[in-house]
Amino acid sequence: MRIFLKLCPGLLLLVALLAIGIPELMAKQVGMQGEEKFWERTVRFFLLQDTSVQIVVLGSTLIGISCGLIGSYVVTRKLSLFGDTLSHAVLPGIAIGFLWAESKDNIALMVGATGAGFLGVSCLTFLQKCTHVRQDSALGIVLSGFYAVGICLLTRIQKMEFGNQSGLDSFLFGQASALSVEDLWGIGCTLFIISLFILTAHKKLLITGFDLSFSRSIGIRADSLQYVLWLLLAFCIITSLQAIGVILASALLIIPAVTASLLVKRMNAYLLISATLGAFAGLGGSFFSFLGQGMPTGPLIVLVSAGIFIFVLCLRPTDGLLIKWFFSRKNTLRIHREDTLKAVYQILESHDFQHQTINTQALMSKRGIDIVKCEIEIQQLINAGLATTEPRSPKLSIPGQSILSLTPMGWEYACKIVRNHRLWELYLTNEAKYAPDHVHDDAEKIEHVLGDDTIRQLEHILSNPRKDPHGKLIPSLTDMEMGNIESSPSS
Amino acid sequence: MPLIPDFTINQVFTQPWSTTQLITWNLQIILMGLLVCWTCGLVGSFIVIRRMALMGDAISHGILPGLAIAFITVGSLGIGTMFIGACLAGLTCNFCIEWLHTNTKIREDAAMGLVFTSFFALGVTLISGNAGNIDLDPGCILYGELGLIPLAEKVEINGTLFGNRAIWTMGVVFICVVTGAIVFYRQLLISSFDSTLAKSIGMPVKVIHLGLMLTLALATVASLEAVGVILVVAMFVFPSVTASFFFNRLSFILLSSFPLGILYTLGGFHLAHWLDCSIAGAIAVTATLLFIPACLLGPNGGVCSRFMHR
Amino acid sequence: MNSLPYPIQVHDLTVSYQRKPVLYGVDLEIEAGSLVGVIGPNGAGKSTLIKTIMNMVRPNGGFVKILGKSPKAGTKHIGYVPQRESVDWEFPVTVMDVVLMGRYGHLGWFGRISKADKKMAHECLEKVDMLSYANRQIGNLSGGQQQRVFLARALAQESSIYLMDEPFVGVDAVTEKTIVSILKSMQQSGKTLVIVHHDLATAKNYFDHLLLLNMRKIAYGPTPKVFTEELLQKTYGGRLTVFSEMASQAAKQPEIETAKTIGE
Repeated sequence: MRIFLKLCPGLLLLVALLAIGIPELMAKQVGMQGEEKFWERTVRFFLLQDTSVQIVVLGSTLIGISCGLIGSYVVTRKLSLFGDTLSHAVLPGIAIGFLWAESKDNIALMVGATGAGFLGVSCLTFLQKCTHVRQDSALGIVLSGFYAVGICLLTRIQKMEFGNQSGLDSFLFGQASALSVEDLWGIGCTLFIISLFILTAHKKLLITGFDLSFSRSIGIRADSLQYVLWLLLAFCIITSLQAIGVILASALLIIPAVTASLLVKRMNAYLLISATLGAFAGLGGSFFSFLGQGMPTGPLIVLVSAGIFIFVLCLRPTDGLLIKWFFSRKNTLRIHREDTLKAVYQILESHDFQHQTINTQALMSKRGIDIVKCEIEIQQLINAGLATTEPRSPKLSIPGQSILSLTPMGWEYACKIVRNHRLWELYLTNEAKYAPDHVHDDAEKIEHVLGDDTIRQLEHILSNPRKDPHGKLIPSLTDMEMGNIESSPSS
Repeated sequence: MPLIPDFTINQVFTQPWSTTQLITWNLQIILMGLLVCWTCGLVGSFIVIRRMALMGDAISHGILPGLAIAFITVGSLGIGTMFIGACLAGLTCNFCIEWLHTNTKIREDAAMGLVFTSFFALGVTLISGNAGNIDLDPGCILYGELGLIPLAEKVEINGTLFGNRAIWTMGVVFICVVTGAIVFYRQLLISSFDSTLAKSIGMPVKVIHLGLMLTLALATVASLEAVGVILVVAMFVFPSVTASFFFNRLSFILLSSFPLGILYTLGGFHLAHWLDCSIAGAIAVTATLLFIPACLLGPNGGVCSRFMHR
Repeated sequence: MNSLPYPIQVHDLTVSYQRKPVLYGVDLEIEAGSLVGVIGPNGAGKSTLIKTIMNMVRPNGGFVKILGKSPKAGTKHIGYVPQRESVDWEFPVTVMDVVLMGRYGHLGWFGRISKADKKMAHECLEKVDMLSYANRQIGNLSGGQQQRVFLARALAQESSIYLMDEPFVGVDAVTEKTIVSILKSMQQSGKTLVIVHHDLATAKNYFDHLLLLNMRKIAYGPTPKVFTEELLQKTYGGRLTVFSEMASQAAKQPEIETAKTIGE
């Protein structure tokens, strides 16, 4: 039992990732102090009463926006893992900046990080241009090499006199509550520059991202544009380090942008959505971190954006997983229904349309399904108003022993399907020159997708045929209107 | 206290080996370092030639939630549960990445960046949220603590002490990896080079791929305590890429991860002693430092040789 | 004669790839010892046909038989030469290693390469005029040389059937001649060869049978019979509109397939 209790939070979190209710559960996970405390802190966070809360909210939202904006370019230009590498590569720069200023001075950290970031990018470019090292290995080398130097420096600093109160640890996983007013200025400036750059260079970015050689041919300096983008990317990562940390900084670049790419195709809308999602992720993450007191913010921000991503993946219009599943199910049901109707028609046809009803037993053997499935399919026909049943003898109703007759609507539908099937068979043999023994299986599929327009086209191409390649009658519109075919017309 | 202490041969090279106590302590560290370098070097060579170096990065991050859940359920460093949890999480991570990029239009690099950061974030949150129950702090996951490996508990079977658990685990993984590499060398070679040919002569390419991913997860878990999830990427990538500047046959590249491992470990150990910093970090720094001359001067495609050819 | 199974028999083969129809109801029976060129416009499903025969793509309908067996058991009898770009030429192996890979199929899981295997690889390299390159790393080869290495590897496989995907793309004239003469000599020793080709001008001279393909089989037969203006026009002159439209619509609805398999 105790093991089970310990397991609970973990399992809950996993489920939470998969479900929509992620915020609730996350709150419980991080803010275990009890119910009242939870609400109290929630209210405190959203009423923005303290200056510290104001800074955190403003900071993380702005970080989210700038990461979302730059992230859209990062993802569309296949730089996702480049961002990851860059964010790891700034670590030694931060350490050196700290050593230089001997305290957590923002300017020094910024200069150090920018320098290291650029060194990282140059190493990467060098490895790719001048050696046979492939892109993935080059990224891995720069990432882990720089990171190793950073770790060595960090562990060294912690053993030096001024290193103890450095707070450099918070740069690994981020701590939004440690944001200061100066940080806020840095974040604001970065966002301003990024927006300015995107506004002025939007068209050029679009062209260079889409077709590099074309943009070069019309005189756009793609390389310098690329370098500016890298510079902004570095700034974006560096200013967000305090809130999200070195390890996960790239996630805030990638996840909102990828989520946006699932939703829209146009670049403008893409930027907008990506920025909004980024802002939400930043806000959500810092909120949970605030609840939990001392929980690292970075992972929480990432979890919130991952939650949004999963939500979108499942429920986005037309392509969402759940939506797709729903439509696919509907489609499957329709196909089953059509197959059953066709079977009914064929049974009626085999008796030369002497009877108007068939018994369920015959349908079962014709469709080759068991009694339970058959009952379900019949029930679905009845529900759709395509057929009616009555027990064989009024006194006892045994499953599988009832008599089924089609309603006029059902009859028309059945005729349509059979017509589709036979028309297609005829088309394949006459026009596409397939052997008659090949066309049946294919027509079994195509009969479900032929629309009215195509049918008219086919009838025109084949000049209103009456017989399919196997010599069977193709039911025409008049047959359907008559509501019945009396008997096979003599040929 | 300056950033770079004075370099004295006595302090850096003699002092760690001065007393028996220090020697036994440091030998354990060196042994662990060697095993980590060798194991990761072998696995990494296959990963790198398959152009999946970053998959190594992704999986090493991705195993974290599995580890965390295993920790929370068992409450201690139970090796079995740890391995199972980590391997499951690693495979899930791999599966998610592949699913995303085959079933949606998300590109592989973006899918990778998305999945592994999310997994890692989940793991870190779980660990810091259950800090009371877990004797593992996020910092350790990030850069490991090779220097504390001798403190790991001892293996005891029927009352006989067999020595350090961490080293034993690593040793077993190492033996598995070596055997696997020898026995399945041909299969790994051909499925990496030309998977269509491999498939056509009836090799289970997918199984081989999964097996490799599993081994990757296994190697990562075993070396996690020592080097952490990010530095393990260095252990994966550096040996084979460095060797590729000298040799152009896979078998030589595989073999050269042994001498390179020795160089890395010994160099890193003494570097750490000199600078008084993280040993795992220092090993990775040594690897970087050795990579630079190899890249510049290596006879097989090094920058200088390329320049001379032109 | 009829009692012997066809080396390759394809019956009513329908293949969709990423929800798009690629092959549609293709029938094909290739007789032993023929040298077949597969011809058709881009996206006509030439490579897909080869891959389906190789059991690398699962068909949506119809079946493939190799020497009368299922493709899973049959692929062992096939030597496959993929498109040159499909492998990584920076890979750390030598020319000899690549040719020896052709022998792996004969070794089983734990077998080792024997001296006979090495001798065999030697001979194959000699046949394609590449013996002097045996210890080179494959990255340093030209396009034509790479293709020859692939051919040597195929020879080392000692299969009775060979499938080759565009072996003449990006090779120099000398290599092209070498390849053709090797193909002809392979045919004379009774091998069955199916080669995807894109150059109409040379197709007539290289192959004794032609398969014209454009989503469906347009024609298959001896070259003089099939290589006619009318049939080529049919192959390259666009598709039947209703036909391809409906085929792509059906391919977009995977439920139709699954419904069928469940229903039956």
